[in-house]
Amino acid sequence: MPTYLLPDRVPWFVVGPLIGLVVAGVFAVNNRAFGISGGYVQALALWRGRATEPWRVWSLVGLLAGALLASLLRGGPAPNLSYGALGQALPLAGIVPVLLAAGVAMGYGARWAGGCTSGHGLCGSAILSRASFAATGTFMATAIAVTLALHALTGGGL
Amino acid sequence: MNRAGFAFGLAFGFLIAAARLNDYNVIHNMLLLREPDVYLLMGSAVMTAMVLLGVLRARSWRTLNGPLDITPARLERKHVAGSVIFGVGWAIAGTCPGPALAMTVGGGLLGLIVVAGLFLGIALRDAIAMRTAAGTARTNVRVAAAASG
Repeated sequence: MPTYLLPDRVPWFVVGPLIGLVVAGVFAVNNRAFGISGGYVQALALWRGRATEPWRVWSLVGLLAGALLASLLRGGPAPNLSYGALGQALPLAGIVPVLLAAGVAMGYGARWAGGCTSGHGLCGSAILSRASFAATGTFMATAIAVTLALHALTGGGL
Repeated sequence: MNRAGFAFGLAFGFLIAAARLNDYNVIHNMLLLREPDVYLLMGSAVMTAMVLLGVLRARSWRTLNGPLDITPARLERKHVAGSVIFGVGWAIAGTCPGPALAMTVGGGLLGLIVVAGLFLGIALRDAIAMRTAAGTARTNVRVAAAASG
């Protein structure tokens, strides 16, 4: 194994507080919650010709650049079609429609709920929003229940 | 604001990838309750932000966009209903909107399918919301016409 500049998985107690700093930073500078699904909404609006909050599109560009930087510090991205345990449980022809449907569900749900794991889970919770606590509790509980159900239904395969 | 958006996005994307939140197995193991790391990560992020925002508010902090306003939204049915649907997708894909983007630049090309689905889902919700709003408006016009007629 070659030694890379960035560890394979930086521990939670390093990353968590730094993400908290980012969340507070966006509130401190832009006076807004840093929701990533909001960035998708603005990117879609830009494509249709009118983004009301262009900084959110820039945040997505930054996100891509930051993740690419992390990848480069680990030897560079290696394009692949793997998808963890789900990729081992399903053939490629099966995983594509499943991932598309899961993406549609997330986009639909986040748009309806007004936020996702970042907007409600991190930002909204940090400002003690009851709406965000309810949203976070709901999507966490739902995701855990669905994951445990899939685990049972696939005989531990997933 | 655009530069700040890019800079904070850069940090966020780096941190997501650093903690491997863009890896299906990491999120799957979290949701299977096999390891507490991601819960601890989110919890420590929320705690840190909460403390920092408390300090900023106490100092009447001014942002680029006026005085710091962190008034929470009122709880509505949509927050819960939408989150149920979001949670189902999150469980199946083992990723969410930010990490899905980070997955693609990390080489995970199937992340592009999730990203495409996210855009489609948002567009679908917008279309349905618009149709519902138009239907409500038509009903209101009919009701008003009946009332005046």
